[in-house]
Amino acid sequence: MNPDTFPWLSTLIFFPIVATVALPFIPDPKGKGDPIRWYALVIGLIDFVLLIYAFYTQYDFAESGLQMVEHYDWLPQLGVQWSVGADGLSMPLILLTGFITSLAILASWPVTYKPRLFYFLILAMYGGQIAVFAVQDLLVFFLVWELELVPVYLLLSIWGGYKRLYAATKFILYTAISSLFILVAALAMAFFGPDLTFDLQSLAAKDYPLTFQLLCYTGFLVAFAVKLPIVPLHTWLPDAHGEATAPVHMLLAGILLKMGGYALIRMNVELLPDAHAYFAPALIILGVVNIIYAALTSFAQRNLKRKIAYSSISHMGFVLIGIASFTDLGMSGAVLQMVSHGLIGASLFFLVGATYDRTHTLILEEMGGVAQNMPKIFAMFTTCSMASLALPGMSGFVAELMVFVGLATSDAYSLTFRVPVVILAGIGVILTPIYLLSMLREIFYGPENKELTSHEKLVDAEPREIFVIACLLVPIIGIGLYPKIITQIYDAKTTQLVAYIRPSVPSIALRETTTVASASSDLAQAEFRQAPLLKPSEF
Amino acid sequence: MDSLYQFAWLIPVLPLGGAFLVGLGLISYNKQTNALRQINAAFIVSLMGAAMVLSFAILWSQIQDHDPYLMTFEWASAGAFHLTMGYTIDHLTSLMLVVVTTVAFLVMIYTDGYMAHDPGYVRFYAYLSLFSFSMLGLVVSPNLVQIYIFWELVGMCSYLLVGFWYDRKPAANACQKAFVTNRVGDFGLLLGILGLYWATNSFEFDIMGERLQSLVSTGELSGVVAAIFAILVFMGPMAKSAQFPLHVWLPEAMEGPTPISALIHAATMVAAGVFLVARMFPVFSGISTAMQFIAWTGAITAFLGATIAVTQNDIKKGLAYSTISQLGYMVMAMGIGAYSAGLFHLMTHAYFKAMLFLGSGSVIHGMEAVVGHNPALAQDMRLMGGLRKYMPVTGLTFLVGCLAICGIPPFAGFWSKDEILSSAFAANPALWLVGWLTAGLTAFYMFRMYFSTFEGDFRGNINALREQIDGKSPALNFGPGAMDPRELTMVAEQEAHHHDDHHHADEPHESPITMTLPLMVLALPSIAIGLLGMPFNNRFEAFIYAPGEANAALEAAAEFEWSEFLLMAGNSVGIALIGITLASLMYRTRQVDPAAIANRFPSLYEFSLNKWFIDDLYERTIIKGCRRIARQVLEVDFKVVDGIVNFAGFLAVLTGEGLKYLESGRIQFYLFIIFMAVLGISIATVI
Repeated sequence: MNPDTFPWLSTLIFFPIVATVALPFIPDPKGKGDPIRWYALVIGLIDFVLLIYAFYTQYDFAESGLQMVEHYDWLPQLGVQWSVGADGLSMPLILLTGFITSLAILASWPVTYKPRLFYFLILAMYGGQIAVFAVQDLLVFFLVWELELVPVYLLLSIWGGYKRLYAATKFILYTAISSLFILVAALAMAFFGPDLTFDLQSLAAKDYPLTFQLLCYTGFLVAFAVKLPIVPLHTWLPDAHGEATAPVHMLLAGILLKMGGYALIRMNVELLPDAHAYFAPALIILGVVNIIYAALTSFAQRNLKRKIAYSSISHMGFVLIGIASFTDLGMSGAVLQMVSHGLIGASLFFLVGATYDRTHTLILEEMGGVAQNMPKIFAMFTTCSMASLALPGMSGFVAELMVFVGLATSDAYSLTFRVPVVILAGIGVILTPIYLLSMLREIFYGPENKELTSHEKLVDAEPREIFVIACLLVPIIGIGLYPKIITQIYDAKTTQLVAYIRPSVPSIALRETTTVASASSDLAQAEFRQAPLLKPSEF
Repeated sequence: MDSLYQFAWLIPVLPLGGAFLVGLGLISYNKQTNALRQINAAFIVSLMGAAMVLSFAILWSQIQDHDPYLMTFEWASAGAFHLTMGYTIDHLTSLMLVVVTTVAFLVMIYTDGYMAHDPGYVRFYAYLSLFSFSMLGLVVSPNLVQIYIFWELVGMCSYLLVGFWYDRKPAANACQKAFVTNRVGDFGLLLGILGLYWATNSFEFDIMGERLQSLVSTGELSGVVAAIFAILVFMGPMAKSAQFPLHVWLPEAMEGPTPISALIHAATMVAAGVFLVARMFPVFSGISTAMQFIAWTGAITAFLGATIAVTQNDIKKGLAYSTISQLGYMVMAMGIGAYSAGLFHLMTHAYFKAMLFLGSGSVIHGMEAVVGHNPALAQDMRLMGGLRKYMPVTGLTFLVGCLAICGIPPFAGFWSKDEILSSAFAANPALWLVGWLTAGLTAFYMFRMYFSTFEGDFRGNINALREQIDGKSPALNFGPGAMDPRELTMVAEQEAHHHDDHHHADEPHESPITMTLPLMVLALPSIAIGLLGMPFNNRFEAFIYAPGEANAALEAAAEFEWSEFLLMAGNSVGIALIGITLASLMYRTRQVDPAAIANRFPSLYEFSLNKWFIDDLYERTIIKGCRRIARQVLEVDFKVVDGIVNFAGFLAVLTGEGLKYLESGRIQFYLFIIFMAVLGISIATVI
């Protein structure tokens, strides 16, 4: 077996799915599901280890194009291929998927109801999610995107809370209807021009007229806006998040939301750059709306899970702004924000689940003073909330700073547009600690809540929970301390992508063709850039 | 000597290591770690001691005129953007390192006594160590982004430490208020940083200043915009150094244990704002609008803090308002360009105010023996009195601190405050007048505090007074906004429940040696460190001077005139003595009844007691407004946005039911829609 030609990505996708076949046959003498849990965990870990191995041996940081590419004809009449590959956009998210899903399996230890089905769905999701980030064929992308919905629907509707059916139905209707737009746009793009193809690279090479681009962009945008989500297409999320159990929660916040951001970059930006130049200001405005609107709703929410769900929406606003900034830094910040929120969101939702397991309530008024019995959970919750409010030294800060600097220095927008946007996004920086710290105060601070402790036994965190949070905190703090560990994975790709889409912006294109004016200003810029760093003698 | 500089990163990293190891122990082996109380403490204190020794070595080498040192590495990059981090060591840094490490070291020793019975003893040390790391990281930062990073980290440590007693409701509110208010300032700081980067393409102080200067002079950037950027950056210091109107968090931060009030909220973190202004001096000094703004903010804050401190009954809150006022002096000094005077006051204030706070902690510790662990009682000066008899060391050091802050020669505060006032007089007599009046008020409220705490008879055993103060009797005389009296009783009951076993002595007692030793050590600089900055032989200014104006000290020394100095000094000492005399008449000999004065000017009294009504104003407008907007947005989200979705879903079900009878199946319908859509798009394209 030659490691260079081995189909790594297909293996990573199909291994967990194929492994589910054995689930019904695992003996479970005690009926508690322990062997099933261990089996799922081992499968998850094997897949993750394989992923790390493939990443180490096969992935080249300096390469901006697709790597680990595999092509197999599937329906040649339709031009449909099973083609997978990973570049700087996919790789961090594939790594994130392996990491979060493995941890989610560990997090679902307390799930005892129908363990076989539960782990079947989790493992199916594992492969499916990697597939979403890896496939390079638009029709197959649509298929895996749709297939992904089924496990989530079942996980919500079987293991959810009281309103689980309402939430699951809402989720499936929202996403199914929205993904119809993907199919329509995909078919339109495939049939456009002389040759029928669904291959992303061939699609990118086609020369679409602007009206067509705008229509397709709108279609994709609706679909991905539901997933990301973008206000006002977000209302499925608080319901789904409010009803999901902790591990499903981790997957929803950690990975599913990232599918929206990923697809937005992959389809909208990369395939339709001209339309992107038209839509980008709208994306930025939507991003700001996301940040402020969701932060305010989160502040007013009295239900803990929904509060954190809205905070996720708020954080996704930075992804939108970064994508639309037309700068290396902004795009890089958007990808980093996805990875970072995947880790932070998963950790917060896991802790919400751990708290709920003890208090059996999500209403903030019914909690209070919980810290005295659960100091460790308190400590972890505080740390993760700090990460979420973008405390420096943690990943969220770096991502948001990059987006901020990227937008502030972007030459695609006029100053009159940038200034209010930066100010409004900056207001989000004030609002985030307000709702997160209020939440901490209401759950943990204050004298012990006698009413709660009289009927609930509040025990502190067990080692498994500490381990899960520690696993999530290591990359969160690692990225915060030295962001290059993650940005170097995709830097080549985002730089290339931004360079590719920048000529689509009329103002930039104009500036780069009118030589005289731009040469002087570029020189001034270059001079600034090359100026030496603080020289000791200047003191 | 260079190897000393190569290892200077150890100064912040040592305390970080201590915090990390102890924190790890707390989370994984909680019981065992908590059991090893003093071993953990000794470990953290000795790491701090090592950092202190290193800092002294570096200061010495800087005094010997060693070149500044800079070490950087690339931290983040994207495309053409590169951001470096690292550390820099120059005169200002070496001074700040020594100030921070010495105060932190002494506070840590003090903590052993103060927190001896607290179950969170080890956790407190871990937080202290973490804070020291953040603060030291801040002062060695070579660029604005790194400053911003550590700026936020010290804010987070302050949050953790103010909310240290998380079972107390006021502490929970206070720590959140501190963090959020600071975030408001950071919001401005962030925007300012972004603006400056946009304009100058750099995060380095000198380069930013230079380029901004040239951009403004060539007219590429309007001076108004530059001033806006500078003021936005200054919003950070406004929040961190508790300047009006963002000062509201500092008095409430006194809910935290007293050692951190001394370390964070008096000596180090709140001075970080002044430090940042000093670092940004190359940028600020060229923008006169911003400098004016800074100077007046400082002056207003100095006056505001002093007027409120006059009516405070809680000893820590009184000191907190005094800190606000003194920080106002420093900021004012920066604003009028008196760079070294401002930093000189920062240093002297760090020592004497830390000592005063630690002294108040010692008083509270002594009072707790009598009134129990109830902050409302143990910190109220109306219950104190005559403590000098019981606590001689605390009393004496507190007196030294009072003399220092009032500006009585030759104590430290005299030299630094006098330098600020004479610079202010030269810059703008109106600023001087505000500063001068404030000096009188300062002397008055500090000696009011000293006399009512340490002189006279002990009042802690008067039960009627106790009950009145504790809010159990209806004649409540608390400053509104301090706390909700019902919360106090709740806490009081709980506290009494917990700690009933070990109090109820009839007399307060002197604190243990671990607490009095730091007081005595801090008394030395409070007395003598001012002698470094005597205007006729200003060694301090020869060491710390504004970037780009070397040898200012020599010029100043050459220009020095005794008559001018004596006039200025005479004025400030004179008003200080008036203040002290008044305080003595009112609170020591009691020849003048303070209540009568309060009744004579009820509106002024109310104005001061209610902290200029600023807290109430914020509560009524910003906080309530914010809540209302949030609730309304949620309602819109729930009713309108989600309502439309649910209605659409309802419609879909209806149409689906209807279509069932029209079409033979749903799949055809699905395909039909898709087909129509594709057709639509194709037609649109052709057109």
